Amino acid sequence: MAAPCGRMVSRSVIQFFCTFSRPKSRNVGFRQFGISSACRVTLKTKSVSETASPSPYGLAAAVYLQRLPVISADCSPIEQSFKDMMHQIELEKSLLSDHELRLIEDAERLKRKQADDYDSDEEDSHMDQDIVLTQDLEDSWEQKFRSFQPAPRVRDDVDKDMSSVQRCLADSLVLVSEQTVGDQKLWLLPQMQWQEGETLRQTAERALASLPVGLKATFLGNAPCGVYTYKLPKPLRTESSLGTKVFFFKAILSDSGPSAPPNSALLWLKKSELQGYLKPAYLMKVERFILDL
Amino acid sequence: MSLAFSRCICRVLPQHIVQRSSLAEGHAARTALYVPAMTLRTTAPLRAEPKKKKKVDPKREQMMRERLKKKLKKLEKVPPELIPIEDFITPTKCLDEERTRPISAISFEESERRALLLKEWSRYKQKQHMAEMKAVESALESQREALEELKITSEELYQAALKPDFTLLPFTHEGPAYTPPKSKYEAPDGKYTDTTRVYTQ
Repeated sequence: MAAPCGRMVSRSVIQFFCTFSRPKSRNVGFRQFGISSACRVTLKTKSVSETASPSPYGLAAAVYLQRLPVISADCSPIEQSFKDMMHQIELEKSLLSDHELRLIEDAERLKRKQADDYDSDEEDSHMDQDIVLTQDLEDSWEQKFRSFQPAPRVRDDVDKDMSSVQRCLADSLVLVSEQTVGDQKLWLLPQMQWQEGETLRQTAERALASLPVGLKATFLGNAPCGVYTYKLPKPLRTESSLGTKVFFFKAILSDSGPSAPPNSALLWLKKSELQGYLKPAYLMKVERFILDL
Repeated sequence: MSLAFSRCICRVLPQHIVQRSSLAEGHAARTALYVPAMTLRTTAPLRAEPKKKKKVDPKREQMMRERLKKKLKKLEKVPPELIPIEDFITPTKCLDEERTRPISAISFEESERRALLLKEWSRYKQKQHMAEMKAVESALESQREALEELKITSEELYQAALKPDFTLLPFTHEGPAYTPPKSKYEAPDGKYTDTTRVYTQ
């Protein structure tokens, strides 16, 4: 019973790992290991053999650098109308403030002054307050407000420049760079090959540091937020390198530093614009963790 | 009168009681050898030796002081006054009748419009919430898959990825304002007097 059991187990194990398209010669080796009784033994030997021989996929780490929005987004039409309605309701339900009471008082006093039977002696001895009418106060405040010029919220020329960090201040942007992979020039999130002796997060930090612009970012944790397995086209596949696995790490931009030289292949893109630059399979994996909220 | 009484009783009493009590009463004992047993009140130290003001009295005084202190503490043990929450107390300014705004009647169309807008708004907010939840779930799913892949690829990298990052917190980020920051803007000095009331318990 043991031998046929073992063979069945090894076959299912082989089918499970077929997705990684191991070369056929390996399966024979598994079958030989699988002759022993329990399936646990076969799996153990499988993992031992795996660490002994390196995985055929190269490892790389990429950084998903996000510039968070700097200004609040514009209200959509329904949001605007709801905002107005709430403002109206709150005004109706409120009490009169001190300023409004003063306005009403002043208006009444003016009416009494303009009436024919006005006697200034009847007035209370608050003559000092008459010098500054509340309306004048309001006008002076209005003037002060007009004299302050805030920075413009939307600047069309900067918005069109894809490589500037200051574009589209109301949305969150992703950094995308052009890199040569194999013999192709592709638009990707900045990535770097993994080296022995470092964690994947350190690889991602290296990828960020390798960019021509000095960008300071805070990495959010040691765990990757997504993975993309890139399989080399069939003719290029060898025994040891079937492709690369790229792990993405999320970081938030804290300081953009001096502006980038115009020729550097760096773009800041919104989530909706990514479609025009990234490959479809890559985009499918990447847009799952890019939050556009 | 009591002396005559004691004289007649002491003839009845045995001699040793009279002698023992002779020293007890102080000057009363000296005046009469006949000390009545009924008025006899002796305490052990008084009986044994003449009154001393050494160790005994300080102890007693200490005990008296402690008792007084305990009584004082009990009196002082008033529960601390609760700090009033100023937000929950309606200031008397708001209850002034003069301050009520003149209510303008809302037309029927206006109230209808408001009701319909509220319904629209709830639908819009629900869609927004569902979209947010979906986005967050997909991000979490993507992370879970990434960690699984990493585990299959390399155990030690997986363990390194699971370690908590202590350099991340405390993390601060300035949230979005209405207008972007102006470069080279000098803000005017703002002086204000802090009028918050501080309570001590």
